[in-house]
Amino acid sequence: MTRHITETDVRAAGPFAKIDTPADVVRMKSALLKDIRRSAYVYRVDCGGCNACEIEIFASITPVFDAERFGIKVVASPRHADILLFTGAVTRSMRMPALRAYEAAPDPKIVVSYGACGVSGGIFHDLYCVWGGTDKILPVDVYIPGCPPTPAATVYGFAVALGLLGQKLKAETHVQAEGERVAVAHPSIPYNLRVLVEREARRMAGYRQGGDIAEKFLVMLEQPGLVPLTDRMSTFAAAETDPRVAEILARLGDVVTEAIA
Amino acid sequence: MHAPTATPDAARVGSDTIAALRLKLPHAVLDESWQTPTQATLTVKLDELPNVVSTLYHEHDGWLSVMAGNDERTINGNFALYYALSMEGAEKSFIVVRAEVPAATEEFPSVTPLVPAAVWHEREVRDMFGLTPVGLPDERRLVLPDDWPDGLHPLRKDSMDYRLRPEPTGDDETYQFKNDAKGETTVVPLGPLHITSDEPGHFRLFVDGEDIIDADYRMFYVHRGMEKVAETRMGYNEVTFLADRVCGICGYAHSVAYTTSIENALGIAVPARAQAIRSVLLETERLHSHLLNLGLACHFVGFDTGFMQFFRVREKTMTLAEMLTGSRKTYALNLIGGVRRDILGEQHVATLRLIGELREEVTRLVEMLLATPNLEGRVKGVGILDPGIAREYSPVGPTVRGSGHRRDTRVDHAFAGYGGVAMPVNVGDGCDVLSRTLVRVSEFFDSLSIIEQILADAPGGPVLTEDFTYKPHKFALGFTEAPRGEDIHWSMTGDNQKLFRWRCRASTYANWPVLRYMLRGNTVSDAPLIVASIDPCYSCTDRVTVVDVNKASSVTVPYKEMERYCRERTNSPLK
Repeated sequence: MTRHITETDVRAAGPFAKIDTPADVVRMKSALLKDIRRSAYVYRVDCGGCNACEIEIFASITPVFDAERFGIKVVASPRHADILLFTGAVTRSMRMPALRAYEAAPDPKIVVSYGACGVSGGIFHDLYCVWGGTDKILPVDVYIPGCPPTPAATVYGFAVALGLLGQKLKAETHVQAEGERVAVAHPSIPYNLRVLVEREARRMAGYRQGGDIAEKFLVMLEQPGLVPLTDRMSTFAAAETDPRVAEILARLGDVVTEAIA
Repeated sequence: MHAPTATPDAARVGSDTIAALRLKLPHAVLDESWQTPTQATLTVKLDELPNVVSTLYHEHDGWLSVMAGNDERTINGNFALYYALSMEGAEKSFIVVRAEVPAATEEFPSVTPLVPAAVWHEREVRDMFGLTPVGLPDERRLVLPDDWPDGLHPLRKDSMDYRLRPEPTGDDETYQFKNDAKGETTVVPLGPLHITSDEPGHFRLFVDGEDIIDADYRMFYVHRGMEKVAETRMGYNEVTFLADRVCGICGYAHSVAYTTSIENALGIAVPARAQAIRSVLLETERLHSHLLNLGLACHFVGFDTGFMQFFRVREKTMTLAEMLTGSRKTYALNLIGGVRRDILGEQHVATLRLIGELREEVTRLVEMLLATPNLEGRVKGVGILDPGIAREYSPVGPTVRGSGHRRDTRVDHAFAGYGGVAMPVNVGDGCDVLSRTLVRVSEFFDSLSIIEQILADAPGGPVLTEDFTYKPHKFALGFTEAPRGEDIHWSMTGDNQKLFRWRCRASTYANWPVLRYMLRGNTVSDAPLIVASIDPCYSCTDRVTVVDVNKASSVTVPYKEMERYCRERTNSPLK
């Protein structure tokens, strides 16, 4: 049952027409964004999310984050909604239910695409059973990225959707000056030794914490002084109060000793 | 394909069971290979497949965990099926029954008539590989959408590019819902979209007045094609992050199950500290998931104060996860051979502090919940899962433990850092919604003490090993106990630094088939509560079709109305 793949088979989205927003609706929508002075009702449409987005939306509306204090309320029917929130990469089976939910919401409505999958299809963007994001089938007004977005990002996204926050663009450009160079970290430590230390630290404690610990250790190595290196390393490890970090520092000391020997 | 191994030695758990099987069915087993000391794969004659699976299932305390199809035509010219059984009798091990399906016939004898637990797996193999289970009564699709072209089977190696998107052919759903009721019926549809936080699914209830006679459901609205992409676009380490996204509630359990399957297949010795960290994170995930379910239980019995309180306290578990992993959800912390982050002294102390706070606050909330008079009235004796039905369908997690079966992967097949941990298996004998809820409550407090134990005894050493090479066509199972029960993955390595096959079975997949029996005999107003009690990564219900078997009338009730009726129990939507 072999199928030969042609160019038209591997398409970006389906052959159906994407819905366009009529001009009068665009005008009403901008008025809504500008003049909104009331609560906004949100209806969620899960188009094939993994539930991480759904649970973070839940977290946003429950007591700790409490989006309802801004008048943002999740409602049970698209017919009550001002804002439609689409999560998930839009699976094949959910295309029609998603379109029906969109049709059911009264105009003017704001469409929010939520989470990495909704925004772009995410890790699933080109799979056979998804359409690759909300904006492949519907006009999207606001994107809330993240995998999943944190509740803080969610509340911020709602606020953007409501026009409560102006989009502050802080563009900054760095132009490389004449002779400007990136400084080499720890130039006095031989390159190979530095690699050994960093690699061991990451093996012991992972990328983030291992990197921090290696940096601390290398700074210590670089400090000038007359005390012999092995003594300095053992004093340094002994001064550490966290026993796990001390264990790792001792291991790094061994690496240096082995490398020198 | 696999050379027969030497005579089984005493260190191999499960060898007595296999010897007994060989005695009973002398000519069935063609080959025996061992992936780990507790995992064996038996290649059997295709005709003997149902007998072998049934013998292991019914006579040796086997439970069907997963069945994986595999397109091995490039390796040995045939398709292969792997029925993985969790043996929970005297010898606790995994026995995988493998049978080759000739590419010429594409047919195999269905195991479902003897072992009903195989039904979803065999329907899925028919969808994804085009292999016909002869004798399987249910001929409907399971995974693929209704408008997917006939004869196009995504997981066949030669069928299609993973990006192929066939044109939509129709906008109507053509799925046939099943109804065992005698006579005329009325239909209540629930789904696929609805209010709370739920993923899509479509339910159909068949009712006589207010009583549910039968129920059926259509799932897989969110089928995305993860197994295919893992085999085509991604490398081994990337799939750990994909596995995190199988489920947003218990994704880390999937990630651990996947990495464990590869580590088992290649015989990688994962550092003990990495295994301990994995267990701490798995328990952290269980904390937030159980609080979520307890909150929902409050919601569905109309006790919304409790719901909000549980969610308030649940934020502490999210803080814990964020501190340990850097993110609240989708931890992305696993690599093949270890983890990406250590637990240093500072985090150790903060974890213990948060655990103390959680223990105190949740104790108070649970007292409040259990003292609420309308709780017991709503959940006691409702949604009975008969232990016999449970035995037939192999459900997992609190769903099966609430019906008296002592199944917990952490105890039966200790993985990650659970080896030396003292923990009870909580079971309830009420078989009802209350029993399942109480099991979750006990497990929450167990998780707290498991984290304390593991942190106290955590060994030193590295958190990652890179001392291994990938070898082609090695396979094994990997398993975890997710908050909803056993997650099990079967992986086979390929010869191009990619997986040849990845089969991922989530816990809820094992629990859906029994839901039908739990709904029968209850009233319509209890349906959302019962569905929520299996904690199906949320009650996947939105539109219920209620079918009245006597009045021959059909009413479609929106989910919102169903949920309101569940909470208030007045003004029936059916009148």
